[in-house]
Parts: sequence; C-alpha cells; structure tokens
Amino acid sequence: MRSRNGNSYFSRTVQVTLLLLYSFALQADEYLISYRYLVKDTILYNETLQISKAMQKCSGYPHKYLILETRDDKNLKEIINQNNQEFIEYLHKLGLNVVHNSKTSNYQYSETTILTLKTSCFKVDFNDNSVKISALK
Amino acid sequence: MKYSLVLVALLSALSLSAEQSASNTIGTNNEIAVNEMQKKGVSSDKTCQCNDVQNVTDKSEPVLKKNNTMLISVVGQGVAPMNTASPAQAYALAKRAAVADAYRLIAEKVKGVRIDGQDLIKNMMVKRSTVRTSVSAMVRNANVVETTFKEGLCEVEMEIVISHAQFK
Repeated sequence: MRSRNGNSYFSRTVQVTLLLLYSFALQADEYLISYRYLVKDTILYNETLQISKAMQKCSGYPHKYLILETRDDKNLKEIINQNNQEFIEYLHKLGLNVVHNSKTSNYQYSETTILTLKTSCFKVDFNDNSVKISALK
Repeated sequence: MKYSLVLVALLSALSLSAEQSASNTIGTNNEIAVNEMQKKGVSSDKTCQCNDVQNVTDKSEPVLKKNNTMLISVVGQGVAPMNTASPAQAYALAKRAAVADAYRLIAEKVKGVRIDGQDLIKNMMVKRSTVRTSVSAMVRNANVVETTFKEGLCEVEMEIVISHAQFK
C-alpha cells in the first residue's frame, strides 16, 4: 500500500504535465478572428480584420480549412497579410452576416450595407512550408 | 368467332360516336360562353386578352420544392473611392463593395425585404416622403462567377445554390 505523500507527488506530476501539454497546444493552435466592413452608396469604408491568440481553449471541431504557403513563418498576422485576398475569400465562403438599410427621402436615395463575421475561433497548424487554418464549428 | 368480330365492330362504332358527341358538347359550350360574353358587351378580342393573362400567370417564377435545389444568380455593383493610392487598390475596393452588394441582393431574393414608408402632408401638400428598406440575413457558400471592371465600376456575378432542407 502506497503512502499518502507518494500519491500526492504522483498526481501533482501528472497535473503539471497535463497543464504544460495543454498550454503548449493552446499557444500553437487556436486564434480568434473577426472581420467587418461597411459599404455606403457603393463605396467601401472601415474594413477591419482582427486576429488574436485564444486565451481559452475553444470548443468545436474543424470543418472548413484553407492552406496558405509560407517560408517557415510562425506569425499568423504576417501570413494573412501576405495572402490577404485568398484569406478574405475564405472568410466570405464561411458566411457573413448581411445587414442592409436604405432610405429614400424626397426622391434622394442612400444605402448602407454592413458585412460581419462575428468573432470566431480558428485552429491553425503551422507546418514547414504551409499553414492550415480551419474554422471551428 | 363471327359473333366476336361483330361485337368488336359494334364497340368501336360506339366509342367513335361517344368521342364525336363529346367534342360537339365542348364546341357548343365554347359557343355559349362567347355568346354570353357578346351579350354582356365583351368583345372576342378581350377574351383573347384573358387567355393571354392566364398564360402569363402560368409562367410564374420558379418555386423551391421539397427535395429540390435552386440556383440564384445576382450581379452586384461597386465603385472605387476617389482618393486611392493606386489603380490596383481602387480595383480591390470596388470589388469588395460589389461583393457586398451581391450578398445583399442574394439576401433580398432569399429572405425578402422589409419596407417602411412615411409621408408627411401639411396644408394639403406633401412636405416629406420617406421610404426605408432593410434586410438582415446570414449568407454562406456563395460563389463569384465573373468579375468585370469598366470605367470605375466593378460588377461581380455571384451564384448560390439553395436547397429546401435549409429552410426547415
């Protein structure tokens, strides 16, 4: 029969190992991304793309992915800046919320359309020459 | 054998006479209808117009039926702003605006438009007339088919396939 001290040492080691594994996995993997732009009278304004590392583990499973080529780069913001067009087309494919309002007052027409991707979690796998970005559902 | 042949001949003669009588009754019914219309003062030309209207209503817009899919195609338009750093930037911004317009058109076609109108009349005169429209939707899996950029105007043709199951 084991002593109480021995058991506590074992369980603490397991806890620390799990915590380290969990934190390393979190740093490498998950990012929060949001995207929004406004079109007023057919002219684009305020296009914003926010990217940040996830502080908590996200729930869900990856369902749609995009593979971008890199040169051993581990900075997601820079990779997305280099492949901006491709990434934004991918975000459009994922689906955006459309809110449109138009107003005709005394026969003068004006309209505003806002497209938004609410803050969503993405799993990112860094490889030697590519990055795989998958949306979590 | 002889009797059977005679029976067949009799049956065929009967069926022929029945068909003729049916066509005669249809013809007389039509004549009666035209006569009634003429009595009411409606000319035969107008009856033709009614038939045309009926034909137009038959050619109604396609409806999404059960276990079916439907392709929706729209063309969005966007204009580049005046103060751009380069023609490439102007093209990119105009294209983004055109995509947003196409998304809006898809949302309008699929979900419909909310319309609100208001007229202010004072001393028997219209002071202000306002019409507001709004759409709110989530659009995913739309594809860009073609992009054209001519004289500062960008046009994006987009398609989306919707299925009946998505609206359950």
